[in-house]
Amino acid sequence: MPVEIIKIIDEVDTHDIKSFRLKFLNPEDEAKFKYLPGQFSELSIYGKGESPIGIASSPTQDGYVEFTVQRAGAIFPGLVTAALHDMDEGAKIGLRGPLGNSWPIEFLEKKNIVVVGGGFAFTTLRSLINYMLHKDNRSRFGEITVIYGARTPGLLLYKDELIQWEKRNDIRTVITVDKGDETWTGRQGFVPAVCKDVAPSPANTVAVICGPPIMIKFTLPVFFELGFSKENILTSLEMRMKCGVGKCGRCNVGYKYVCSDGPVFSLAQLEELPRDF
Amino acid sequence: MKKTSISEISDLAAQLMGKGALIAPVREEAGFNFREISDAKQVDLNFYNTIISPKSAFFPQTEDFVRYQTGKDILEATPVELNIKPAFLFGVRPCDVKSFEIMDIHFTGTGAVDPYWQKRREAAAIFGYAFDLNTPADGADFYSTLGIGAADPEGSDVFMIKKGDDLLLKAITPKGEKLLAEMSVLSDATPDDLNYFDDTVAAGRAFKTRFTCVEAKPIAKKFEDLFGNTEFWEKVSNACLSCGACTFVCPTCYCFDICDETLFGKGTRRRVWDACMFTDFTLEASGHNPRTKVYQRLRQKVCHKYSYHIRKYGPISCVGCGRCTRACPVNIDIFSIVDEAMKA
Repeated sequence: MPVEIIKIIDEVDTHDIKSFRLKFLNPEDEAKFKYLPGQFSELSIYGKGESPIGIASSPTQDGYVEFTVQRAGAIFPGLVTAALHDMDEGAKIGLRGPLGNSWPIEFLEKKNIVVVGGGFAFTTLRSLINYMLHKDNRSRFGEITVIYGARTPGLLLYKDELIQWEKRNDIRTVITVDKGDETWTGRQGFVPAVCKDVAPSPANTVAVICGPPIMIKFTLPVFFELGFSKENILTSLEMRMKCGVGKCGRCNVGYKYVCSDGPVFSLAQLEELPRDF
Repeated sequence: MKKTSISEISDLAAQLMGKGALIAPVREEAGFNFREISDAKQVDLNFYNTIISPKSAFFPQTEDFVRYQTGKDILEATPVELNIKPAFLFGVRPCDVKSFEIMDIHFTGTGAVDPYWQKRREAAAIFGYAFDLNTPADGADFYSTLGIGAADPEGSDVFMIKKGDDLLLKAITPKGEKLLAEMSVLSDATPDDLNYFDDTVAAGRAFKTRFTCVEAKPIAKKFEDLFGNTEFWEKVSNACLSCGACTFVCPTCYCFDICDETLFGKGTRRRVWDACMFTDFTLEASGHNPRTKVYQRLRQKVCHKYSYHIRKYGPISCVGCGRCTRACPVNIDIFSIVDEAMKA
């Protein structure tokens, strides 16, 4: 599906993460592109390739679809993400999707939701939060708590939205940074410690956790200690992908393909799979 | 049932070529391989099995999707038209015929349908060909372990058995029936030929290759339990060079890469065969790679065929054709790994 980049948002002070707002060039493609939070798409640039990227906008946002992309390649240069970062508004690229499963909306309904995000892995969580906060959807969910951390204040994504969420009384927003600067007046501390401090009740509550492996490693024990079951802890996996539809054989973890059986899995589901990710 | 003299096989080949592409084993420097026949005289049934599996007839090593000019508008890119003509896959061994069934489940039977595989498969007729039961099986083969007979006609449209200087051809499907009826170069088989055919099919079931007791569900469980046994995997992969030869000759390896290739402003997006034996197969843009070690990659290949595929789709994804063992430069043998796993 051909799309046009209608807006580029420079998200962080290191300028290596940008959000790309895309508009479908064919109205019928837009009608076909029905997605839910947690799904991803392949962004395509001819001559460079395709990259699987989580959808950062919510389906409640009409008229466009948004992706937040990091310029990849501290070690190996990412061809697609580099080309995308060098593009201007008005450029046309390809979009293939929506792909994968989503955050299990029906399972989340009528429950309290604790969203825990770390760093750049906040994109599909943001989609979920905006989806739940939409006026048509807010009553379908219980209490919403968001715990979001980044290394520095400048690395927090979606700063304008975070401020909006903090002003609302139907969502509890807890923002933390590993290390603040002279202007930072909010919390300082690592995400696992903040989770312990916030201590959400496990009663009728699902935790949705995405972040760097090190954050996940130390956050999970906090939630176990709080009494969360493995069925009620959800995360989203990453693997190298190509086709995105379960055919190219690349992204398997055991007998599951992350692209078509995932990327969203509960901790209970992951425990059944070999540790091959 | 029909028959022809093997010395007149090129007449049959010529007649098939008049109806579509004939893909048959051709003698090449290194051995036999399936190729599209341009001269009916090329058809040579004096082969054991081909070096590379016949999967490339439906799943070519490279498949162009889109052509474009770099820097030009995305709307100017042109999808490559899928130009599929009727094809006859001639001389396919029973174990390889079985591999198509296994690939069908993945490419068209479950989830998204791969139109390339599906359309080529639909346009093709399979002429299966029994192994010669008077010659012992190659030491690498183990198809009888997987319940495949040396003369199983199932899955073929027409099944062929050599009887002395003659070739017997029996229609297995209505498509095969129709085809044989149209082949004027064939003569009718005798009752004696019919008996010979049935006897050979039965004898093929008793024909032994290397054998160990393997059943889908127990072996899948076995490898699930063995996954974390690093000592086992390091031992069996000790010599592995990660060259990927095993995956390229394999009839059931389906992994592919999608890549862009550009030269002087002209570009093609295509899919190409890929292999889980290569380090960059799972290398993520972040630099993270879940399978950096050789043993992890060989484990992936073996577990995919003998565990994951079973959990996901049902059957074992291996037909015991022995190609990977013959192709391996350091004599790694999947049969021995499976055998060892059963004993572990």
